[in-house]
Amino acid sequence: MSKFASVSALAVFAVLAASTAWSAEIKIGSQIPKTGNLARVGGAMSEGIAVAAEMFNKKNGKHTVSVLTMDDESSPAKAVAAVEKLASDGVVAFTGGYGSNIIGPASEAAEKMNKTYITSGGVATELTKRGLKNFFRINNSEGYARALIGMYTELGIKSVTVIYSTKEATEEVAKMLEKTLSAKGVKVTLHAFDPSTTDFKPIVHKIKLQDRPEAIAMIGYENDYVGILRAAKVLKPDIKNISGVWSLATSKMWSEFPDLMNGVAGTSTLSYPAEFTTPEAKEFAETYQRMYNKAPDYLGIFGYVQSMMLFQAAAKAQDAGTIDKGGISEELRKLDVQTVIGRVRFDQDGDNPEFTHRMGQHQDGKVVLVWPADAATGKMNFPAVPW
Amino acid sequence: MFELFAQSAFSGVLAGAYYALIALGLALVFGTMRVINLAHGELVLLAAYVAYSAENKLHLDPLASLPLAVAVVGLTSIAVYGLLSRIKKDRELNSLILTFGLGVIMTNAILMIWSADIHSTSVPWHHDAIILADLLFAMNSEVFFGVAGLVVVAGLWWWLEKTWYGRALRAVASNRDAAKLMGINPQFTEILSFAVAGLLASVAGIAIYSAKVIQPSLGHHLTVKAFIITVLAGMGSVPGVLLGGMLLGIVENLTVTLASSALQELAGMVLFLVVLLVMPSGLFGRVRRRG
Repeated sequence: MSKFASVSALAVFAVLAASTAWSAEIKIGSQIPKTGNLARVGGAMSEGIAVAAEMFNKKNGKHTVSVLTMDDESSPAKAVAAVEKLASDGVVAFTGGYGSNIIGPASEAAEKMNKTYITSGGVATELTKRGLKNFFRINNSEGYARALIGMYTELGIKSVTVIYSTKEATEEVAKMLEKTLSAKGVKVTLHAFDPSTTDFKPIVHKIKLQDRPEAIAMIGYENDYVGILRAAKVLKPDIKNISGVWSLATSKMWSEFPDLMNGVAGTSTLSYPAEFTTPEAKEFAETYQRMYNKAPDYLGIFGYVQSMMLFQAAAKAQDAGTIDKGGISEELRKLDVQTVIGRVRFDQDGDNPEFTHRMGQHQDGKVVLVWPADAATGKMNFPAVPW
Repeated sequence: MFELFAQSAFSGVLAGAYYALIALGLALVFGTMRVINLAHGELVLLAAYVAYSAENKLHLDPLASLPLAVAVVGLTSIAVYGLLSRIKKDRELNSLILTFGLGVIMTNAILMIWSADIHSTSVPWHHDAIILADLLFAMNSEVFFGVAGLVVVAGLWWWLEKTWYGRALRAVASNRDAAKLMGINPQFTEILSFAVAGLLASVAGIAIYSAKVIQPSLGHHLTVKAFIITVLAGMGSVPGVLLGGMLLGIVENLTVTLASSALQELAGMVLFLVVLLVMPSGLFGRVRRRG
């Protein structure tokens, strides 16, 4: 009897152990800025990550993910500490990060622990040239520069002045614009500005009197765009187009600064009001709306895409029994999927060579996709400036 | 080139008056209490967010929100004093630590209450252009608050020099015990200086909300800028704050025009170091004699 009881107990234990291995709760870490000067973008990306976790847990059937989040306070040192703390809490991989200067050291800390780190918040080229085997990102500087260059080429612009922040990623996009547009015979003038600059009138005045370009490209962040556009509205340079990159062609910018946005173009994944056509995109938008009572913005979309890919790779690694042996990175490298932002696959450096952004233009409260032609939802207003 | 130079100098003067507005409260508290309030930038920012809420919830023009901002920021400033007054030992050093901590708390409170989004007034008048002699360009709010900066500096100087309470403030700053023997209540006088600093921070905050863009992390930058101008001016000097602010504004703007805007902050710091090397007490600072 006692032998039978022992065997039964062992059998039950074995079944339980097997079922635990079959359906695991996978702990994922998210080091992200919730405070400091990157709090807004970090918060928006964090929402996309939470939506991805919600959808994955609802649909996967076998495994669930739990996301442990730590605020890096927009600081590189705090980001490293957050990665180390999350690792000690048992996470198997990381999703999040914003700012190339923060993602750099944070992803190196993850690499030392042989843990996967995926992001959409750092576009500087050097991030994927460090030889890290566990670093992945779904977007890059080239994709942003390519979109602006494509739009200028289509418009037949002959001269562009680029106003750019001296941060790493912005400077890189500006230099890419200069190199590629100059090679195409476009006259390019660069004006760097310190990130603390608030009054752009001296720069815009120089552009108006000395450069006299057909278009102005703004490579910075939301507060920089507002400062440049305000200065331009006062000085009224004789240009045909003013465009920028991230965080510009958004419904948020229109609702906060409607007097500055009409005719302004920026990189954008979606038109606004957003049109979600695929079943996955529709489900994502519905879940986002339900969880946050608002439509997703591009940061939420990027956060969702990177996290969903990571969760899928982690689930496969869990099934293969390699989740603690570098299996997540191996599975990510095998992925080649159509996502809400287009096709994503990773090269040997962990970069996504397929990434090309689209250009959207503010048109009377809507964001209309105007480039490339196959993604366009309307025609570009040209010439068009907000003053 | 003349056009560029003139515009640059004009923008510099306006920026200087705006800088002076930010720095005045810090200079006043330092001049009267020998306390460097490292939460001053956050007080300025708090006023800006009060103006934002007043515009969005009550549909008030930022200028009309001044009484509300003065009430909120004035009380907060007095609360800061309440905490500072509990420091009994090494007040100069411990007040730095305390106000730095308060600044961090206020930044996070602002972040929690108003979120991390950027904001600025949507009242068009503030951003409409003023063009002088077809040569000098500015926004209405920049000119308005530039003039307001001059008026506030003059008013504060007059108050400190000509009124009983102003003199009482200076007397407490000079010798607290002697002032007490003369019938002045030092505690009330110090509360008064924090209340006036709150008023000055409110004007500065509304200026920022009207002419610039606000976000929760801005407070620290404002404190640093105010501190540089206060030291440049000579600790506690009110006219020096205006001159220091304008000097900084003009140097920064000329650097953008003649060199590169990437060097703007560097030029400001070089000016700061040069003035400190040549005039260690600042532009208007009193030289302390030994003995």
